[in-house]
Amino acid sequence: MVTAVLWALALCYAVSRVAIGYPDPRRQYRGLGRGEVAFISSAGEAMYPAGGPIPSSGLDADLPGYLERLLAASHLQTRILLHLLFFLVEHGTLLFPTPGRGGMRRFSSQDVEHRVAALDGWAESTLFFRRVVFTSLRAVLTMGYFAHPPVVRRLGLAPLAIESPICEADLLYPRIGERPESIGKTAADLTAPSAGIPLPQDGPLEPGFAEPRP
Amino acid sequence: MSSVEPGEIRVFAQYDRDLTLEADVVVVGSGPTGAVVAKELTDAGKSVVLVEEGPPFVPAEYELDGGLSMARTMREGGLRTTSGTIMPTMQAIALGGGSLVNSAICNRAPAFVLDRWCTDFELERTTRADLDPHYEAVATFLGISVTPDNVLGRRNLLFRDGCNALGYQCESILRNVRGCRGSGECFTGCRSRAKQSMDISYIPAAIRGGARVLTSVRIERVLAEGWRATGVVGRVVKPFTGKPSHQVRVHAKVVVLAAGCAATPVLLQKSGNLANRSGQVGENLQFHPGVAIMGIFPDPVYPRFGATQGYQSRHFLRDGFKLETLWAPPAITAVRLPGSGMALKNRLADIPYSAIWDGIATCNRSLGRVRARRRSLDPILSWKLHPADVPVLAHALWVLAQIFFAAGARTIVPGVHGIAPELHSLKEAEVLRDRPLRTTDLVLAGNHVFCTTRMHGDPRLGVVNEMGRCHDFENLYIADTGIFPRSTSVNPMWTGMALAHRSAHHIAQQI
Ligand SMILES: Cc1cc2nc3c(=O)[nH]c(=O)nc-3n(C[C@H](O)[C@H](O)[C@H](O)COP(=O)(O)OP(=O)(O)OC[C@H]3O[C@@H](n4cnc5c(N)ncnc54)[C@H](O)[C@@H]3O)c2cc1C
Ligand code: SF4
Repeated sequence: MVTAVLWALALCYAVSRVAIGYPDPRRQYRGLGRGEVAFISSAGEAMYPAGGPIPSSGLDADLPGYLERLLAASHLQTRILLHLLFFLVEHGTLLFPTPGRGGMRRFSSQDVEHRVAALDGWAESTLFFRRVVFTSLRAVLTMGYFAHPPVVRRLGLAPLAIESPICEADLLYPRIGERPESIGKTAADLTAPSAGIPLPQDGPLEPGFAEPRP
Repeated sequence: MSSVEPGEIRVFAQYDRDLTLEADVVVVGSGPTGAVVAKELTDAGKSVVLVEEGPPFVPAEYELDGGLSMARTMREGGLRTTSGTIMPTMQAIALGGGSLVNSAICNRAPAFVLDRWCTDFELERTTRADLDPHYEAVATFLGISVTPDNVLGRRNLLFRDGCNALGYQCESILRNVRGCRGSGECFTGCRSRAKQSMDISYIPAAIRGGARVLTSVRIERVLAEGWRATGVVGRVVKPFTGKPSHQVRVHAKVVVLAAGCAATPVLLQKSGNLANRSGQVGENLQFHPGVAIMGIFPDPVYPRFGATQGYQSRHFLRDGFKLETLWAPPAITAVRLPGSGMALKNRLADIPYSAIWDGIATCNRSLGRVRARRRSLDPILSWKLHPADVPVLAHALWVLAQIFFAAGARTIVPGVHGIAPELHSLKEAEVLRDRPLRTTDLVLAGNHVFCTTRMHGDPRLGVVNEMGRCHDFENLYIADTGIFPRSTSVNPMWTGMALAHRSAHHIAQQI
């Protein structure tokens, strides 16, 4: 009887920890639960706080939006791994509490200093597995941060606009998912191949990365 | 639409029913090795069907974001790792295979390496002199040439300066590129159409010559009767999801597997453990594990500009490693930086002042195996870095540190666990030389893969002979880098293509 009650209590705790009390996200994210959106945003904020040499923060970069796109582009196996990664760090505070009061609360419920400390705990762990988890999390958050055009613009790393020459292959392959009829090019459209002129570094940026016009 | 005409390429949207084709030769996999075989056999007047699981990518499909690009062009979204020693390894899924995403580095295997292949694996015709005509043929077709100075950019030139200051041999890299503009984005696809990846070079030439190319078709089984392969069977698969639909069968006089070193053994295993009387299918898995250091310079390096990998040093080949410059999309580059929070942000701000150089190691002792996953064609890659290879990688890191400081770096970020995240002088960097490292201290990556269907003169010890024919079959060939008996010690693509060129000419004579 006592065991059954304990199990029931444990189950209630698990359900409330995993599912209850997450804020409503600013918008709906397909493929991400509310808890995951909260986790990604809070991890992004801890990994990339506001201020410093790059003005944008992890919050500005809409990391859940990036991960939504990454998940949509990924195979099932990768998707499962990513969900697992979020879960592990969000609730890993149970196994590896953050130093200080409330260290066992879920990651996204902790304040930003505690979250940074929690991340450091993963990064500097003597357990190789924990370091791998941290590196994987930092990798996906960093990819999202760098997908935010103001970040790469600030670092002078935004891709330059390049007009691709039209070569024989462009007459053979349609865009993915389309039929050859959609190619709409003939031999008359072929252009001269690249002459090897170095890209001018002050040239225009690729449209998706350019500064929006006021 | 049931027949496919000579010189036709079929894409996913066109398949509307099951398909059965006949050909002289069916080639599975359109990476550097499969593409060469398909084109050479077409030129020799054979009817060829080239089957590729991935779709063709045109520049409008290239994703400039590193993460999204990997999710689309790489198997397992670019997150594939080995087990045992955990190491990321990427294999492409695209028309053109690895050539779509690689840096186009072309190196011939050194003569001393090939000589050892010959003596240790009972090979008679695989010396450098034997392979040189095949290297030449590939070079002529692809325009393999030295990276011109005007597109090297500062991050390549600093490497040259550092090596020169220390008296280490170094050189501008030979690449299969025509008209490089120095955009440094080989990894996400060359928007300048300068990199001669297979999808814009060998494959269009094969199509022009009459080859039929089926994209988005995953071969699931090799068909065989007795000691003869009779064809292959597979399914049309939807790009990116892999969802299977119509069946595709190709009957052929000769079957050539060029699905890549990680995929071909799985295909053989799933086909009833074919060609495996030696027990070597899937064994001997080898990588060139790589380590890298980021160096921060006092003045801007403008790393966005420059050939992705434009300079290298082969000075330490006999010590077991090769050094090269490296660049990747900024997001992937940034992933290397240690720390979190403001410390990480401060380091990101150093990227415009930085260069990354890497060392790839031969590691002939570090072996593994490829096994088929249940109900999937994805491989399980188990592999272990041999403890004796750890000091080789540590040596590579130490030499890289020396080159950085000789080139004027103010700080290096070695990315080694247990060592300070930043080292500010050669004196501080001596820790890389003096501190014994463990495997788990290193951040490794390994994109050069080989040996899982190795060639050997003795049928009991290898899967294929020198021409790539399976010892157990009259007409089943393997062309991908799995047939290397051992590492090339340098980037493998050109050697894979040279061997494929030789195999193709041999096959042409057999049918
Ligand atoms: C990021 C990166 C950078 C690299 N840089 C260099 C470099 O600069 N120089 C160099 O020498 N090497 C480089 N390499 C390695 C080089 O690209 C590979 O060695 C080379 O591509 C191997 O050629 P392959 O034909 O053996 O196999 P792959 O290129 O892997 O081609 C195999 C093809 O077979 C297809 N396939 C697999 N299974 C099936 C199936 N069941 N049915 C149908 N099709 C299938 C795959 O989709 C793939 O397109 C790099 C690799 C990577 C990932
Ligand atoms: S560096 Fe840029 S232009 Fe040169 S081959 Fe690579 S992607 Fe093409």
